[in-house]
Amino acid sequence: MIVNNIQVLFGGQAGDGSLTTGDLIALVFKRMGLEVYTFKDFPSRIRGGHTNYVIRAGEQPHYGLGDMVDAMVAFDLECVEKHIAEMRPGGFVIFDNSQEKLTDAARRPDVYVYDVPLADIAKKQLGLELVRNTISLGVLGELIGMDKEIVRGLVTKQYERKGEKVVAQNIGAIEAGERYVREHFDRPSGYALRARPDGDRLLMMGNDAIGYGALAAGCRFMAGYPITPATDILEWMAKHAPRYGGTVVQAEDELAAINMTIGAAYAGVRAMTATSGPGQALMTEGIGLAGVLETPIVVVECARAGPSTGMPTKTEQSNLNHVIFAGHGEIPRVVIAPGTVEESFYLTVAAFNLAEKYQVPVFLLTEQALCQSKETLPRLELGAVTVDRGKLVRNGGVTFGEYKRFAFTEDGVSLRTVPGVEGGMHLAPGSEHNDAGVITEDAANRARMMDKRMRKLDAMRADLPRPSLFGEPEAGMAFIAFGANRGPVSEVQDRLRSVGVASKFLQLRTLWPFPEGDVRAFVAGAEHVFVVENNISGQLERLIRAVTGPVPSLHGVRKYNGRPFRPAEILDAVTRRMATLPAGVAAR
Amino acid sequence: MATTLTPKDFATATPSWWCAGCGDFGVLAALKQACAELGLEPHKVAFISGIGCSGKISGYLHSYAFHGVHGRALPTATAVKLANTDLTVIVAGGDGDGYAIGAGHFIHAVRRNPDMTYIVMDNQTYGLTKGQSSPTSMLGYKAGPHPQGNPDAPINGLAIALAAGATFIARAFSSEPKQMAEMIKEAVRHPGFGIVEVLSPCVTFNKVNTYKWFKENVYHLDDLPGYDVRDRVRAFATLTQPGKIPLGIFYREIRPTLEELMLGTGRPPIASLPIETVDPGLAALQDAYA
Repeated sequence: MIVNNIQVLFGGQAGDGSLTTGDLIALVFKRMGLEVYTFKDFPSRIRGGHTNYVIRAGEQPHYGLGDMVDAMVAFDLECVEKHIAEMRPGGFVIFDNSQEKLTDAARRPDVYVYDVPLADIAKKQLGLELVRNTISLGVLGELIGMDKEIVRGLVTKQYERKGEKVVAQNIGAIEAGERYVREHFDRPSGYALRARPDGDRLLMMGNDAIGYGALAAGCRFMAGYPITPATDILEWMAKHAPRYGGTVVQAEDELAAINMTIGAAYAGVRAMTATSGPGQALMTEGIGLAGVLETPIVVVECARAGPSTGMPTKTEQSNLNHVIFAGHGEIPRVVIAPGTVEESFYLTVAAFNLAEKYQVPVFLLTEQALCQSKETLPRLELGAVTVDRGKLVRNGGVTFGEYKRFAFTEDGVSLRTVPGVEGGMHLAPGSEHNDAGVITEDAANRARMMDKRMRKLDAMRADLPRPSLFGEPEAGMAFIAFGANRGPVSEVQDRLRSVGVASKFLQLRTLWPFPEGDVRAFVAGAEHVFVVENNISGQLERLIRAVTGPVPSLHGVRKYNGRPFRPAEILDAVTRRMATLPAGVAAR
Repeated sequence: MATTLTPKDFATATPSWWCAGCGDFGVLAALKQACAELGLEPHKVAFISGIGCSGKISGYLHSYAFHGVHGRALPTATAVKLANTDLTVIVAGGDGDGYAIGAGHFIHAVRRNPDMTYIVMDNQTYGLTKGQSSPTSMLGYKAGPHPQGNPDAPINGLAIALAAGATFIARAFSSEPKQMAEMIKEAVRHPGFGIVEVLSPCVTFNKVNTYKWFKENVYHLDDLPGYDVRDRVRAFATLTQPGKIPLGIFYREIRPTLEELMLGTGRPPIASLPIETVDPGLAALQDAYA
């Protein structure tokens, strides 16, 4: 019997309402006191095409997927065929056999199948095929021991907006599912849940944490163009920002979105945009403008699989070079990357402060497997949020003729007036300019102005989010990763530790300016360094090699099929390198 | 305050880059005169320009001036206005900036109807890159990439603006700066998106559409008996009539501005909001995730 440790895959055709039920399952686990991570694997279309929602729950937070699926809820044969190989021996499948029969090829001797005619029950007993999802929740709950009160409470809350009848139908569906299990199956599932105190925790999606962080940081303007997987942020801000005096514009394209963001920031409002690869490409010229105008903006990049349209709903870390290097000419910029939903909130706040304090564009780099995933986390501390607007002048005190918007300073940051401030009038040109903003191609001024702007990269070092170090600092085996790989790499460390292998893991949170000192020191003490990233060319590894020089013990662990790492995949790469690794660390 | 200002109050010390005789001088003179007569305070004017000869104008108007990337002046300006509704927002750019690289933004700025003024300085050529065809160049205009003559039919920017829902549409001629200043003033006073297209000859590259050519080919709406600026159909007919080029105010209409629709009225500008301390009300938003 496996207790409080389960990974559920809930799958069928897109558009059949499975996401709602997946969310409900995640909430039940959370209310039962477990730590949750969810992953949406859906096609880039509205209806049809295989979609699945994975919900992982355990007593420890994992921030990522496990290797294997324990319980599959399959609404069609395709789902079983696609995922039967991922099942843990001893796991089980709940299969809707109303329309299709499970083929022998889709069976495994070590995986039990509960045949439940979900659609038929929905139609015959409840008169509504739509509730088959909810019936499946009843079946699953009965098999693994979900708390019945919690389930009923959440279902009621979910549907109460739609009226009493819909609530009653769904409660009936839950009961029908539970009853079907009691009446037809004696076999225990092998899994059980024991409720723990929920505590004051949240279950939040990465993109929501970014929106919330932006609002807390004082962002009151957002412009964006709908693009997967970033649109959630635009919609979250549109829903919440107006109440706090802000506004959100759906722009006609990303060119407009970035220039609107710059316009609002230029006018003195904390402003951001959110996009993904293709939109980022269109924003590139604008990013350069923000750099040379020294206008503080925040650009959220929710990375997906490229190039071109690529795989819009799939995850990848192939935009790292793009956010760091894209653009003609050279500007100071910051790229920071959260590794968890909780961190997405705090680093969003940091992004706005860095942007205004150093008057630079700041990228918050996230990815589909993090920004559209939900995680459990403690309440977010608004008391920890500080707003540092840097050298912003909002209420006068400058004299026209003396004031110079781009004055040469030690830290490269100049007093910044915004329209409306008396005496602060100036030209803000994308063309090279002198300290007063007058356009000039003078050679000496050009070099001096480049130095001034790029000097900010040094000045900001102390304010940049430091990497997180996990594990034993003296260990010979080392990992470096960023973003969503925070979860799987930590889990690999746990498994290595359980067989007596110590390791250390540097999760980079600032990717640009590159944390040279921290990385060099980390690599210097390690025998083998595994650089784990989701791209084909080793973009992070190249950045590391650029600061460490030739390091024979640096090994790339790369995945680029649009799916996040499972811990076993990283472990496989490690064991291939390390013949001496003890047995027993393989997949589990 | 308003009575003491002169056009000189809107001058900058920066010497102009324009060629002697450029039509853009007329635009700048009219703009300064309009700003002075409207009693605008330079620090409350946000003047956003595009790229090209025309885009240089932002360096010559004493104000908060913004010279961004090619074709994106309108989205930038829209956001400036949303960020601070206390500002007078004026945008200026050329026919290439507005009707070619920025054409997509042009239509959307028009339909949003933010309260701002857009001056299109139309010289029917790309002057700064030495005379290539522009979206308003006449068919057959001979230029670098079109040695056999421009094969692309010219765009009618004001007709497009009308179709897209513009609420104030005017055309001026840079040889008539007084009338132009009046039109700019009307556009600034107009509560919504006002476009003033200015025929602004390029004396260096456009040897077809010269001052002389324009003088022979323009007429004034004032001379049309019974012209009514509220008549959208007549405005469209007048704008699209082949032949001589009409000058004057073609159309005006009052409809809610973008700021009114998005921000409501009577609220402080977003840029003035105190954000230094976190609104404690924000904590309750977490309850939806508990």
